[in-house]
Amino acid sequence: MSIEFVKEYYYVICIVILLGAFLLFVRGFESRKPGAREVVILAVMSAIAVASRAVFVMIPFVKPILGIIMITGIAFGVEAGFLTGAVSALVSNFIFGQGPWTPWQMFAYGLAGAIAGFLAKRKIMGTDRLLLTSFLGYVIVQFIVGPILDCSSLLLMGRTMSKEFVFAIFAAGATPNGILGIATGVTLLLLCKPMVGKLNRLKIKYGIMEADAKE
Amino acid sequence: MKFTDCHPITNLVFYIGAIGFGMCLVHPACLVCSFLFALVYYSIVKGEVRKYLGRILMLFMVVSLINPFFNRYGETILFVYFNGRSYTLEALGYGLALAGMFCSIMTWFASYSVVMTKDKFLFCFGKLAPTVSLILTMVFRFIPDFQRKLQQVSGIRKSIGLSTSSGTNREKIKHGMNIISSVTSWALESSVVTADSMRSRGYGSGRRTSYSIYSFKKKDQFLLFIMLLLLLITLLCALNGGFTAEYTPSLYISDWDNAWTIIGVGSYFLFLAIPSVLHLIEEIIWHISRSKI
Repeated sequence: MSIEFVKEYYYVICIVILLGAFLLFVRGFESRKPGAREVVILAVMSAIAVASRAVFVMIPFVKPILGIIMITGIAFGVEAGFLTGAVSALVSNFIFGQGPWTPWQMFAYGLAGAIAGFLAKRKIMGTDRLLLTSFLGYVIVQFIVGPILDCSSLLLMGRTMSKEFVFAIFAAGATPNGILGIATGVTLLLLCKPMVGKLNRLKIKYGIMEADAKE
Repeated sequence: MKFTDCHPITNLVFYIGAIGFGMCLVHPACLVCSFLFALVYYSIVKGEVRKYLGRILMLFMVVSLINPFFNRYGETILFVYFNGRSYTLEALGYGLALAGMFCSIMTWFASYSVVMTKDKFLFCFGKLAPTVSLILTMVFRFIPDFQRKLQQVSGIRKSIGLSTSSGTNREKIKHGMNIISSVTSWALESSVVTADSMRSRGYGSGRRTSYSIYSFKKKDQFLLFIMLLLLLITLLCALNGGFTAEYTPSLYISDWDNAWTIIGVGSYFLFLAIPSVLHLIEEIIWHISRSKI
């Protein structure tokens, strides 16, 4: 029964695993007892990420949300990046409508922030390498975040996975993912330097997020 | 008592049941139940269904007709295309089933978005993660605030000729990013004040309590009991093969002569009907009490 069972309920099983991962992460974050400043600043960054969409209602396709999540990751590290990403995705779905994609989007956006944080720690992404940072932002969205988002429709509709079906779903997703990726790259190119500067200034001036800064 | 006025846990259990079973049960009778009640309840909470119905039926058609192109299994060949690949009846049936499932899940989520408001969501998950739920609460509060501020800043910048609505795309994007950047500075500075104010009021010095307007009434208890009972019966019938439905390679759907199928579909039907029926009862009571006056 086991392998048959897994094949039948791909989506449900994946969701259970995802929720388990979220639970582990949240437990870790909660047990650390984060201070008031850290909590408020993470909330501010998530709110900026979601609200920034409103500035670009005139211009189609420009969604800075992922760029701002990555900037948070670059400035404050892996954990803050993941949390900001997951929270932003959840909250923006409260505005634009929840769906079967919500957990996937939370995970994908969180991962984007976490990867940016990880690469910034390795000195690969950062303000002194603006072009590389912006290109990596595009790559992360096109090849990691986008495919994870496509997985939600793939697993929901594909009970019998055929190669053609998987290929078709990812091919259909490639263009919107590319557009989102370019928007992210542009955001990073224009916003990375001023925003990371501001966040770093906050770290120095008020000594917040010191745990991440010291590492 | 309308379903929207029920306790958040009752709401949540219903949606977990409806969406969870909706994803797993592909028996045609179950799919019809799910899609039907999802649409009925959607029309109740949204007050309109015609526009939505048009869109969702389009989606249904596209998903069901396209699916057989990716599914080679099946015995009854309808037509052959390209290099001898076949479009089979069984695969079409399977496509219809998947499209039905997909569309009913979408519709359930659409009404979920209305029923499970932010405060209900926070009530359900707040105890699990107090800090994260505090962050969520703050984000919900900050967003309208920041949007107002973004509008103010963009208004001011517009008056000096730096708007996001005129000029080349390049300029527009650059101006937009500048607005975000300046609002961020303002938000971060004020956030430090907020945080210090929180700390001086004792944040982190003890367990955080939260206020909620929800109380678990007798009716909620009764409703929750009924829902869990129906879910259990449905699950039992599913485990006993009441909902067996195989589409490819050959069509096999458990028939009405199977007792498990009858009981299972019946209990699934009753479970999914709960929100709509509650609403209907409420409307009738209201009608009667109004006609008495």
